[in-house]
Amino acid sequence: MSQTWLISGSPGCGKTSWILKTMLSHPGACGYLRLDGHSDIGLEQASNSGIDQAFLKDQIPQLLDLSETQYASRSQQDDLLALIELPQFHSPQHVDLAGIDPRIKNQLEALQLHPDRHLHFGRDHELPSKDKLEFKKLESLNLSLNRSVWDPPSLNTFWFELVNGAYGDVYRAKALMNLPDGRSMFFNWIVSQESSQFFPLQEISAPNGRPASLSELVVQGKHLDCLRIQSTIDLCLLNDAVLEMHQMPLRDQQKEAIPLS
Amino acid sequence: MNHAIISCLHANLPAVEAVLNDIDRQGIKTITCLGDLVGYGPQPNEVVELIRKRGIATCQGCWDEDIIDGLNACECSYPSQLAERRGHLAHQWTDDQLTDENKSFLANLPTSLRRDRLLFVHGSPNSQHEYLLPDMDAFAALERVETAGADILFCGHTHQPYVRELRGGSIHVRLQNADHDSGQREELTLPMRKIVNAGSVGEPRHGTTNATYVIHNDATDEVEIKEVAYDVGRTCQAIVEAGLPKVFAWRLSHGFEFAEQAEDASHVCER
Repeated sequence: MSQTWLISGSPGCGKTSWILKTMLSHPGACGYLRLDGHSDIGLEQASNSGIDQAFLKDQIPQLLDLSETQYASRSQQDDLLALIELPQFHSPQHVDLAGIDPRIKNQLEALQLHPDRHLHFGRDHELPSKDKLEFKKLESLNLSLNRSVWDPPSLNTFWFELVNGAYGDVYRAKALMNLPDGRSMFFNWIVSQESSQFFPLQEISAPNGRPASLSELVVQGKHLDCLRIQSTIDLCLLNDAVLEMHQMPLRDQQKEAIPLS
Repeated sequence: MNHAIISCLHANLPAVEAVLNDIDRQGIKTITCLGDLVGYGPQPNEVVELIRKRGIATCQGCWDEDIIDGLNACECSYPSQLAERRGHLAHQWTDDQLTDENKSFLANLPTSLRRDRLLFVHGSPNSQHEYLLPDMDAFAALERVETAGADILFCGHTHQPYVRELRGGSIHVRLQNADHDSGQREELTLPMRKIVNAGSVGEPRHGTTNATYVIHNDATDEVEIKEVAYDVGRTCQAIVEAGLPKVFAWRLSHGFEFAEQAEDASHVCER
């Protein structure tokens, strides 16, 4: 029997990590959708960057995209676990399905998705609660970095500076970043964690120019200096000539590795 | 007799003043400076003039060299593209600020100073740009000290103070004539050598914001790493007011241990 759950919680509470873990332990098919959520007074939601979707899809290649109508109809299929992620700052006033925001209900209706459970981080005990943060004020920054490739040591420095407060009080940062060797890295940080998580995605592009995979940075916090974040990123990204300098020897190595027939 | 060694002042006048005051309070008369008087900080002329006025023996650091030789002095020593581009911004700003007289002073600094068995350099005896990191391979570290003919090598450049004792070193020698191998082999045991890194006065990166320097007693060979608090806020404000990258002030105000390191820290530019 298929199940559709709405999973909500404040930024950085661990929604995506929990969803990944739950999906990996589910024997049947899995579907995923991330909704934008709504901003509150002083609390700005990050726009739906696609980072979570791309990361989950990389970890579970057969993952179904619930935003596609044909898959929504598949939610009637047996064994499908459909998990819908919703960033939501405040705990719902009512338990379970009655607590779903009417605006969200309308979005779900439009996609023919009908949750049979609603779990909220900080309210429902079956969800972990160690990373629950109460935000009173939150700004969000979303930067598209598609086709951008980082100088790896510069990326290391930039991320260190970002999460340690060089560009404002950052509470939450996540990103998908491209490296010159074709790898894409998922960066994940929340102020309540001791350190950042870095996951290389399983899918690796050929070291041949700029990759087509999604690359974005999402930052949430207070007093964010967006201009300085952008200008620092500009100093870290490789131009075409330097990218080619990185990639040419990698291509040569790959050629050498191909055995002669 | 105690003497003091300071390094990596980086145009941070409040830090330099605080350290010199601390040294003066202890009645120490001999001070040696291991270079990098300028770079990153907001008061390059004031720092150079203070060192000149005090007549402090100084060797040339990588920044002092680069400001004279130009940006291409050793671009390959930057550990990242970001560090390189920020370094260029700081270089250009410093170049614009420094007077000709102070540039001339930096240009004429020696690359090393020697006092009996003590050798004073900025990076290593090989280059102002080479990092002698505390975890450097023991053989390579011993090689740097031994080939320079020193018992104690005082250096800076890493911005992390440390004292490293190199004990039990030995060299295996095989005697060979032009036409044949005599077969004679010798093992020479080396006496203990030391590398003493003075850390940084003007841009500490050892986990606190305090400036560091070292005191060495040339009779007992005791070395003490000293930390001196100074008005970091004053320097940070001056950095921002000067129009230098704000991240320099942020870095200074935290004294992070994190520091970018080149992939090969012992790399020596062969320009």
